[in-house]
Amino acid sequence: MSLAGKVALVTGGSRGIGKAISLKLASQGADVIINFLRRRSVAEATANEIRAKGVKVHLVKANVGEPEEIDRMFQEIEREFGRLDIFINNAASGVAKAALELDTRGWDWTMDINARAFLLCTQRAVKLMSKGGKVIAISSLGARLVWPAYSAVGVSKAALEALTRYLAIECAPLGITVNCVAPGAVESEALKLYAGDENLNKSVWQKTPAGRMVSPEDIANLVSFLCSEQASMIVGQVIVIDGGVTLAPINF
Amino acid sequence: MSTSSVEAVITEIASKILRKDVDLTTVNNFKELGADSLDIIQIIVKVEDRFDIELLEEDLQNIKGIKDFVAYVERRIAEKNSQ
Repeated sequence: MSLAGKVALVTGGSRGIGKAISLKLASQGADVIINFLRRRSVAEATANEIRAKGVKVHLVKANVGEPEEIDRMFQEIEREFGRLDIFINNAASGVAKAALELDTRGWDWTMDINARAFLLCTQRAVKLMSKGGKVIAISSLGARLVWPAYSAVGVSKAALEALTRYLAIECAPLGITVNCVAPGAVESEALKLYAGDENLNKSVWQKTPAGRMVSPEDIANLVSFLCSEQASMIVGQVIVIDGGVTLAPINF
Repeated sequence: MSTSSVEAVITEIASKILRKDVDLTTVNNFKELGADSLDIIQIIVKVEDRFDIELLEEDLQNIKGIKDFVAYVERRIAEKNSQ
């Protein structure tokens, strides 16, 4: 599947799942805009890997939790590229607290970055897209399952998934598809930071029927398919990628 | 930019995030001002933006208090300017 000549924006695209997606789209020929929040040196290292694939890469530092920074990011994209073909809403953050302990600031921070940014970015992305445009949000199984201290993120991801459906129906007549990918626990730095438990990886893959954890590359492959014309009739869906763990939570 | 002006900018940022006028000279760390971990990450992000520098996690873990933080920011600004 070639994405040659396409322009893709990946929010949170310099590390982890976002990096895997950025590299995958670049390997298929897409020019890639990487949004990042803090680590310019990390973003530049990813940009170098992308450049080595022979495509154009552009870095945009912006906190997608702040509407004025989203505006600035899209002004920059319009100025540099004039259009957008693929938007991957991947940037995420969150406060790790139980629901009964969650305060309004933690709620707002998490919802602004994980859910409101998807709305505001998609509104702006669609204006730069033509027929064939693709919008894909990265969710989490925590939108439907309950995990300790995951309340704010889980609720924000549930909002993201609902928003996927509404945006999909509004964008379908424009020839733009909107879909969502919901991974299980992904082998990444973020998981280690969140769980604070090096043994978590082992316990997750032992419970996964497919015999291993989901990797960032697994998610990138699915995103790549959703970016292809072969996926043009998949509209407003949340596609779970978890190695079967939610179908068989108990080992048989 | 002098250390005192760096401290003034950090004071302005902390006051905005904590939604109150703060005096960094009267406390040892941000937690004494009532800041939680979310406040601190927001302060770090704004300081990075304002000075166009990168504050490294491995360095931040060793910061002992506000004076140390101001000195670290000052050092990162100087390193950027020397490049």
